[in-house]
Amino acid sequence: MRKLSLDGADFTSMVLQGANQLHLHSEHVNSLNVFPVPDGDTGTNMNLTMAAGVNELREKSSASIGKSAEVLSKGLLMGARGNSGVILSQLFRGFSKSVTGLDSIQSVQFAAALQNGVDTAYKAVVKPVEGTILTVAKEAAKHAVYIARRTTDVIELMQEVLEKAKEALANTPNQLPVLKQVGVVDSGGQGLVYIYEGFLSALQLGDTAIPDAARPAVEDQGKRPSAVTSAIPHTHAAQSQLSTEDIEFLYDMEFFIQLNLGNARKKFDEQLFRKTLARNGDSIIVIADDEIVKVHVHSKTPGDVLNEALLYGEITKINILNMREQHRDLLADGGDVTPMPELFPAIDHEVSDFIETVVEPPADEIASYGIISVSMGQGISDIFTSLGVDIVLSGGQTMNPSTEDFVKAIESISAQHIFILPNNSNIILAAQQSKELVPDRDVTVLPAKTIPQGLAAAFAFQEDESVQVNAEAMEQAIAHVQSGQVTYSIRDTNLDGLDIKAGHYIGIHNSKIVATKESLVETCQGLLGQMIDNGDEIVTVLVGDDAEQATTEELTAWMAEQYPDAEVEIHTGGQPIYHYIFSVE
Amino acid sequence: MGKIRIVTDSTGDIPRELREQYDIRMVPLKVHFGDQMYMDSITIEPAQFYELLVTSEKLPTTSQPSPLDFSELYKELLADPDTEIISIHLSAAMSGTYQSAMLAKSMIEDLDASYEDRLTIVDSKSASYGFGQMVVMAARLAEQGTSKDGILEAITRFQQERKLYFLVDTLKFLQKGGRIGKASAVLGTLLNVKPILSIDAEGEVYAVDKVRGQKKAVSRVVELFKKDFEGKRIHIAAGYATERSVMEDVIAQMREQFDVASVEYTTIGSVIGTHVGPGVVAIFVTPI
Repeated sequence: MRKLSLDGADFTSMVLQGANQLHLHSEHVNSLNVFPVPDGDTGTNMNLTMAAGVNELREKSSASIGKSAEVLSKGLLMGARGNSGVILSQLFRGFSKSVTGLDSIQSVQFAAALQNGVDTAYKAVVKPVEGTILTVAKEAAKHAVYIARRTTDVIELMQEVLEKAKEALANTPNQLPVLKQVGVVDSGGQGLVYIYEGFLSALQLGDTAIPDAARPAVEDQGKRPSAVTSAIPHTHAAQSQLSTEDIEFLYDMEFFIQLNLGNARKKFDEQLFRKTLARNGDSIIVIADDEIVKVHVHSKTPGDVLNEALLYGEITKINILNMREQHRDLLADGGDVTPMPELFPAIDHEVSDFIETVVEPPADEIASYGIISVSMGQGISDIFTSLGVDIVLSGGQTMNPSTEDFVKAIESISAQHIFILPNNSNIILAAQQSKELVPDRDVTVLPAKTIPQGLAAAFAFQEDESVQVNAEAMEQAIAHVQSGQVTYSIRDTNLDGLDIKAGHYIGIHNSKIVATKESLVETCQGLLGQMIDNGDEIVTVLVGDDAEQATTEELTAWMAEQYPDAEVEIHTGGQPIYHYIFSVE
Repeated sequence: MGKIRIVTDSTGDIPRELREQYDIRMVPLKVHFGDQMYMDSITIEPAQFYELLVTSEKLPTTSQPSPLDFSELYKELLADPDTEIISIHLSAAMSGTYQSAMLAKSMIEDLDASYEDRLTIVDSKSASYGFGQMVVMAARLAEQGTSKDGILEAITRFQQERKLYFLVDTLKFLQKGGRIGKASAVLGTLLNVKPILSIDAEGEVYAVDKVRGQKKAVSRVVELFKKDFEGKRIHIAAGYATERSVMEDVIAQMREQFDVASVEYTTIGSVIGTHVGPGVVAIFVTPI
């Protein structure tokens, strides 16, 4: 069987198969986490990212590969979570750019598109590291370019690409010593290999395999009707403390403007449109490209909003919800609605349940600064809020916020300058990517990689100082604070010169495992011994959900004896997975 | 040549010996524990007060002197036709004491037209020994025969040159007493924050900075003084309530960094103590 070209339908079925293959194996990808901690997340992140792209593609698949790839790229970009997810979104962004305007492509163009994806991803990452998904994609694309000169069969080409990707993946432990030490291959690279496997199997199965969804969909019945309900970005306990009548901008509206359809009377002007929406509304999100504008607004006057939108084109997928009505229902239900993100394929990237706390100034009152932070655990979120953080996104580990979650958070703050504290090295890229999606906003992503670094930075913030002074002070605070995290190992491994047993506790100092013991208290003691220098520092203890009070008391007593000059502060962090998080400064 | 008498209130936290040495007349504010009323530095000494503060279930409240308290004293002193009064008081932004003195003045002006010129009331725009020192200086100048205008000029200069920072254990007391001024922004964080406070040119409390932990607070205060007095010869006055060791820690660090000509200590009295809490340490610096 030979296949000489790929069109939009082919591409769609490849992507769907790829996503499916990744979904089936996401737990395996998770297990490749270098640290033996119970929060491996690369599989989950890539899976959610891919699902966001696929959802978009299901709705707007086209017979043209150029259009299909563009749709996928947009979905991925907004849904990107975690570093691997962001890189994945950049790979397809480059791919899409390369096939723009083409209805179908041949093997040479396919190879060139893969190569362009790699070039784009390398550019997007500030410091590319070899031995990761980047390397796997690079080796595979290079080989594709080579093979494409020798065969016109895209199936054969894809076979070769997959083989090369697997080879590169197997080689990652030779490039990243830490992988070799632990005895795993790179998790993101593995995820990409699964996607390529899906690509190949879709091509091998041929036309018969094209799922219904691959045909341009007019109405997608499979889509959750709950999209709008869930898009209320903050269904949480705090909301039940609001009085229903306090909801001023009560109509939650979401719709799309198709700029090329209908009788557009005006050229779309985003700034002007935003201003118009702000007249009687807040929580405004406008994401525009040349063809489509996505609009979200809480408005008093939904009719006016729609009339205004009609000036620019045809309106599709209109969802309007009365929030007072919803709020009354919420109160009737007991008020505590926990957002439950679902996995592929039900995930809808337009749904953002991640905003825990929103303090929205009225649209006309521009605060000079806004801070967005990422936290895990209610206690930690409360501390961030008490330090003046405007929006706390949940999800430090197993569920990283997506690029779109950040975009929504940014859009909902009407401040002149916004600081983002990602508080996890795997969230920084998504935060940076969000910044590029709202070019009209002034956003600084600070290099906070741990909760203690985020807290120190938030503490250093001063409302009445300039952006530069604040950025410097916060970066200094980040560099100065020592971070410690304690959890248990999920497997036997040897890392950082330590022999780690499954089920034993491990203490991570900044990003290195420095202590491991069967006993939790001893592990904490070993870790604190590394973190505390003079003995007169301030030690903040964030107690996790899994920590027992007796353990905390034992630890506190030990610290009082061992470090009599230290100032120890104990707070309920409420974080999962990590029994204790320590900050020493 | 007439005689100049200095009047103040009890919140200047002037050590008793100095008050007696310079014959400074003091009108007490009052502190109330429930129904029990004490006169600051007269019927209650700082040590007793802080003991009560710890044991008492209810937090104390304070009240300013009545205009009558002032007018009686003013009349007594002004009965001598050669006497002039400079009456220096706690920042009007923090207390009604200054207002009360002003009312007293307007009340007695009806008795004798000369009282208006012979009685000058000064808003110190400061608190505790931050203005207590100013009062002592005025009394010393008066003793040396300096004219009223000369003394008032010296007071203005002192107000411009002085720098003070104070540390509190908690903002709870400042907040409860409503004297938190512009420092309210530091409130409400769940972390144990040590605010570094000062009093601005309008006589209002404001937060200069916030740090975590006592030791950092002490070194930050020293650092802040450096901005104004690096390489200069200084006089330090230090006030404390119960935390003498923290105050001594600051002084020791100050001695390392500055050319310290002299240091004097005072205890923060019950009225100021009510509003800042027992953990307060205040450092007042003047150039020499």
